Amino acid sequence: MIKKYNITVNGASYEVEVEEVKEGAVTAAPRAAAPAPAPRPAAPKTAPKPVEKPATPVAAPAGATTVEAPMPGNIWKVEVKEGQSVKEGQVLIILEAMKMENEIMAPADGVVAAIHVSEGSSVNGGDILVSLK
Amino acid sequence: MAMDKTEDLRQRKAKIELGGGEKRIADQHNKGKLTARERISLLFDEGTFVEIDAFVKHRCVNFGMEKVDSPGEGVITGYGQVDGRLVYAYAQDFTVVGGSLGEMHAKKICKIQDMALRMGAPIVGLNDSGGARIQEGVDALSGYGHIFYRNTISSGVIPQITAIMGPCAGGAVYSPAITDFIFMVDKTSQMFITGPQVIKTVTGEEVTAEALGGGMTHNRTSGVAHFLSPNDETCIAEIRRLLSFLPSNNMETAPVFASEDDINKVISELDEIIPESPNKPYDMKKLIEMIADGGDFFEVQPYFAANMITGFIRINGQSVGIIANQPRVLAGCLDINASDKAGRFIRTCDCYNIPILNIVDVPGFLPGTSQEHGGIIRHGAKMLYAYSEATVPKITLIVRKAYGGAYIGMCNKELGADMVFAWPSAEIAVMGPEGAANIIFRKEISDSDDPQATRVELVENYKKEFATPYKAAERGYVDDIIEPSVTRPRLADALNMLASKRETRPPKKHGNIPL
Repeated sequence: MIKKYNITVNGASYEVEVEEVKEGAVTAAPRAAAPAPAPRPAAPKTAPKPVEKPATPVAAPAGATTVEAPMPGNIWKVEVKEGQSVKEGQVLIILEAMKMENEIMAPADGVVAAIHVSEGSSVNGGDILVSLK
Repeated sequence: MAMDKTEDLRQRKAKIELGGGEKRIADQHNKGKLTARERISLLFDEGTFVEIDAFVKHRCVNFGMEKVDSPGEGVITGYGQVDGRLVYAYAQDFTVVGGSLGEMHAKKICKIQDMALRMGAPIVGLNDSGGARIQEGVDALSGYGHIFYRNTISSGVIPQITAIMGPCAGGAVYSPAITDFIFMVDKTSQMFITGPQVIKTVTGEEVTAEALGGGMTHNRTSGVAHFLSPNDETCIAEIRRLLSFLPSNNMETAPVFASEDDINKVISELDEIIPESPNKPYDMKKLIEMIADGGDFFEVQPYFAANMITGFIRINGQSVGIIANQPRVLAGCLDINASDKAGRFIRTCDCYNIPILNIVDVPGFLPGTSQEHGGIIRHGAKMLYAYSEATVPKITLIVRKAYGGAYIGMCNKELGADMVFAWPSAEIAVMGPEGAANIIFRKEISDSDDPQATRVELVENYKKEFATPYKAAERGYVDDIIEPSVTRPRLADALNMLASKRETRPPKKHGNIPL
C-alpha cells in the first residue's frame, strides 16, 4: 500500500511516497492507518553548548576507544608506541599517583591510534591518555 | 465421577503449567531467556519444588481484563531445597500478561515473603516483568507497596536475593534494591526508574535501554547490582553458590563445608607477594585466593569500585567476609564508591553472623574536589560506622600501607577489631614519610645549608623509624606481627578463638547511619 505525505522542511514542501512492507503473507485484518505523527517542536535556538573539556594535546581520532586517567598524577612511563597492537589488559601507561605506579591497562584488544601524553607530564582525572582503534 | 474430577484437576494444572502458551514460551526462548518454570527447576534440588497458589486469578474487570485469562497470575511461587536447605522463591512469568504485577500477583509474592520470614529461610526472587499492570490502577501500586514493606521487615532477618532476568522498570526496581543481593543477566535484563522513551520526551537525551540500565551499567557504573551473569543458567548456579556462604537466618551461622585444604599450610609465596618498592602495585586478589580454602574466592561486586574488594571465602570450612584494598586500581585509595561498597558489605556480613577479615594496603583517601563535593565525608563515615557497629568477629591484617584516617577506616583496633595482625612490610603511620617529614622537620630543612639533602635524609630516618608496624605494636594497636607465610594458620586459629564472641550494644530503635 502506497501512502502519500506532504512534508515541509525549512519552509520547502516535499511530496513523499511511503510504501508499507508487510511481514509474512498472512496478516490480521488491516489496521487503520496510523495517525501522522504530531509535528515536533523546533529545536531551541539557543541550545546549551556542552561544557568543553580542557583541551588535550591531540584530539582522539573518531571512533577510537579512549583510555582516560582514573585520577590526577604524573606520567611515569609510556609503555607502548603509536601503531603498536595491544591485547586487553596490557599495560599502556604507568601513572604515578598517590605514591603508586598505577598500571593503566588496555580495556580491549586494539591498535594504539594516538598517545596524548608524554613521560613526565602531569594529568588530571578524566584526561585522555591513549586512544585505541 | 471421582475419576472425572481427578482428570479435571489434572487438566487445570496442566493448563496453568503451560503459562502463556507455547508461542510465548518460544518467544521467551528466542530472546535467550528461560521460562519461569525452567528457572525454578534449575534453582532447586531436583524434585524438591512445591508450588503454592497456582490457581490464583486476577479480579480486574476494567478495560476488558475480565476476558483475559492469566494462568498462575504471571508469577510462580513456592518453596523447595537448595543443597538440602529450605529456600522460598518466586519467579515472574513473562509469558503471562508480560509478567505484569497486579493485586493478586502481588498477593502471591507477599504470601511467600511472609512464609519465608516466619520459617526463617532465604527467599529468592526471579524478576521478569513488564511492570505494573496498568489496568489494575492503584491496586497494582498497592501490591508494590506491600512487597517493599515486607522486603524491609525481612531485611537482616533472612537473606533476600533478587535476580533481574528481563525488564524491571519503574517502581518495580525498589523491591530488588531493598534486598541483600542483586544478580543481573547480561544483555537480557534492564533496570531503570524512567525508561529511554520517557527520558527522550522529557530531556531530549537519547540512550539505549542497555546503556541506561543494562547488566554491565548497574554492575560497573551505578553499583546497584552485585553480580553479572552471561546467561540464565549461570545466574541461577551463582545464586545457589551465594546461598552456600549464607546462613538461613540471623539466628544461625553459615553452613560449614569440610575442606581438604590444610589449615596449617605454610604458604611461602606470601613472603614474596609484597613488592620491594612501596610504589609498586600487586594483585590483592591473588593474596586472598592463597589464604582461602581451595583458593576459592567468591567476589561480590567485582566491577564496581574495583579499588575496594569485597567477597566471601572459607577458612577451615567457615564463611568469612573479605574487605580488602586493591593496590592495582586507583592505588587502592578509599573514595566515595569504595566506602559505599565496603559499608554495605560489612553490614551484610554483620546481619548474617559472618566474620569479617580486613586486608589493608591503603595509601589514604582519594584527594580532589569531585570527592569532597560528592560528600566523601558522609560516605566515608559509613565505613567507620559499619565497622564500629558490627559485632561479628573482626580481624584486621595490615600487609602494607595503613596511613591516617584510612587506617582507621579499614577497621583498626579502636573500631573494634578483635585481632589486628601486621606483616613486617606494614607501614602504619599518621601520614606518608615525605609529607610527614616536610611538616615535622620544616625548620631543620629550611635552616639547612643543603635543604634537599637534609630533606632526603630526614625522610629516610622517618621511614625507618615510623613507617613500620613496630610503633603501633608497642602501643598494643597491633596484636601481633607475623610472618606472611603463616598467615593462613594464624587466621584459622583467630577465627576459632573468636567463635564464641558475644558483644552487646545499648538498647535503641536503630542507629542513625549517615546515608
